Amino acid sequence: MVSESAERPQQAELVIVGNGALGLFLAQELTERGAGSIAIVGPSTSETGASRAAGAMLGCFGETTTESLRTDASRVRFELGVAAHDRWPAVLDGLEEFSRTGRPLLSAPDTHVVLNSIGGELDTVNYQAIRAALDEYDKPWQEVDPHDIPGFNPRLDTRSLSTMHLPTEGAVDARGVMEALERKLRAAGVSFVDATVSRLVSSDDVVTGVELEDGRVIEGQNVVVAAGIQSEALVRTVSEDIDLVPTFPGLGFAMIARRSGGDPFRSVVRTPNRGFACGLHVVPQGGGLEYYGATNRLVDTISGVTWMADVRFLAQYSMQQLDERAASHEVLRWLSGNRPVTLDGFPLIGWLPPAGLYLMTGTYRDGFHCAPLLAEHVANELQGKPGIIDPMFSPTREPIATRTVEWSINEYVEHNLAAWFETGAEAAPQMTTPQLTEYYRTRCVQLYDQLNIDYALGPDILWYTQGSLRGARRVSRYLRKHGGTSTPRPETARVGSGDAR
Amino acid sequence: MTDASTPSIVRKLIDQQLNFVAHGLQLKDDDNLWDLGMTSLTCLGLMLSIEETFDVELPEEVLKESTFRTVASITEAVDAALEGVLAER
Repeated sequence: MVSESAERPQQAELVIVGNGALGLFLAQELTERGAGSIAIVGPSTSETGASRAAGAMLGCFGETTTESLRTDASRVRFELGVAAHDRWPAVLDGLEEFSRTGRPLLSAPDTHVVLNSIGGELDTVNYQAIRAALDEYDKPWQEVDPHDIPGFNPRLDTRSLSTMHLPTEGAVDARGVMEALERKLRAAGVSFVDATVSRLVSSDDVVTGVELEDGRVIEGQNVVVAAGIQSEALVRTVSEDIDLVPTFPGLGFAMIARRSGGDPFRSVVRTPNRGFACGLHVVPQGGGLEYYGATNRLVDTISGVTWMADVRFLAQYSMQQLDERAASHEVLRWLSGNRPVTLDGFPLIGWLPPAGLYLMTGTYRDGFHCAPLLAEHVANELQGKPGIIDPMFSPTREPIATRTVEWSINEYVEHNLAAWFETGAEAAPQMTTPQLTEYYRTRCVQLYDQLNIDYALGPDILWYTQGSLRGARRVSRYLRKHGGTSTPRPETARVGSGDAR
Repeated sequence: MTDASTPSIVRKLIDQQLNFVAHGLQLKDDDNLWDLGMTSLTCLGLMLSIEETFDVELPEEVLKESTFRTVASITEAVDAALEGVLAER
């Protein structure tokens, strides 16, 4: 971490709450435009933020799923990633001189996506969706022999069925980028305040600044909250009545290991997105280091903990599916972070009802990748210019609907089956996949009955809701107020219609 | 809502989930619901119906399986919430 500023400003034209990728890139955009004074407030040692735990794959196509282009709303979201991707070469050019890692910030120039047999049908359909999206957007890819991928050395039982090379999707060294960005911003006169904001300060329904945990106040003409999963609670310090789409912590775990032998990975090697999460991936970090990620589970409370089950999951499957020699790699760092996951899966970007308050979060798993683009958009809005992204992501919108309840139940089943097989779960021989399907389907139908809602949730939110009374209450209450309903669910969602079988 | 009425309403809400009356089961105040067929999902539905019926928000620390073990434990949590008292355990 770059050393702290000696003095703490008492005011700035813009106060940015949050020192993750979104906040830093916004500050960069504004300083390059010659905008006024900026203070970035956030603890330098945060152990719960998503950015500093990120794998930072620049992979909008590698992330494609069957859902990505299925609806207009999802397509708008997807195209944010495509547009963001084009900005990264210039971003890195402007940061390299501030980097002190001794390694290129672009830690891998390309990606290999591996389809193996372990992850269930979900892997296959998402793999096909990646190819279809690449073709639709006229992006290069090539089928390759998995034996030709440097570093890739899975165990035989999970060898690749098919592999594609994406020559223009790589990854950056997330921690190196953040440090370089901070150094660049300090040189440009941006103030960094190493403190936690306890509440937003307002007067006559206008937000006028932030109060720190020690009681000191920093005044600002505008306040941008870009504090990831902490953002919702901070906004609520102004008013409980602001009707935000709820966010949930998506706790993720990853490891940085030093390779102890064998050929190093030279590209990102990843599976498609699978079972409630972002797929298994290794991201070269340079200097013999490799990032192995990542888990994802929605939880009740923000924390920096690591679950033993997640350690097992990541270590075992990295050795099994990526490189069996990883067993003797040296783990240097364990990273955990909380992705800001919204109820409808879409970001929260826009002005809020109290004047002077702007919210920028809810980017789930690609906030880092989208940050330069979102920075440009938010800078425009702050300066009273037209934005460059669709206004549909307003934080106080009605939740965006992309699926029917029936579709949602099928998705939930597919994700559970994928997780079932990936984790090596075994049932009695006479228990067939259709029976497993029926189990998950029945459970999901019952969950919708108990929640008594018509809004169709994503599989990750469903998984969280079925396992958390707090989560169920929060989801149910919000949706009963917003398009949720007390009327009976449509007939389409009943046990035994069996479409997922 | 009087305290005295809480257990009978709780019984009614439990019965909506677990259907004891139709099966002739006389539910005692200390019968363990988890031994009588309650699942995580019926518990979820029971919690939502209790909060809606009593128009109360149970504190987060009581949103756990043990709170929903018996008629008595649920009644205790509901009454505490109705009195605005945290149901500490």
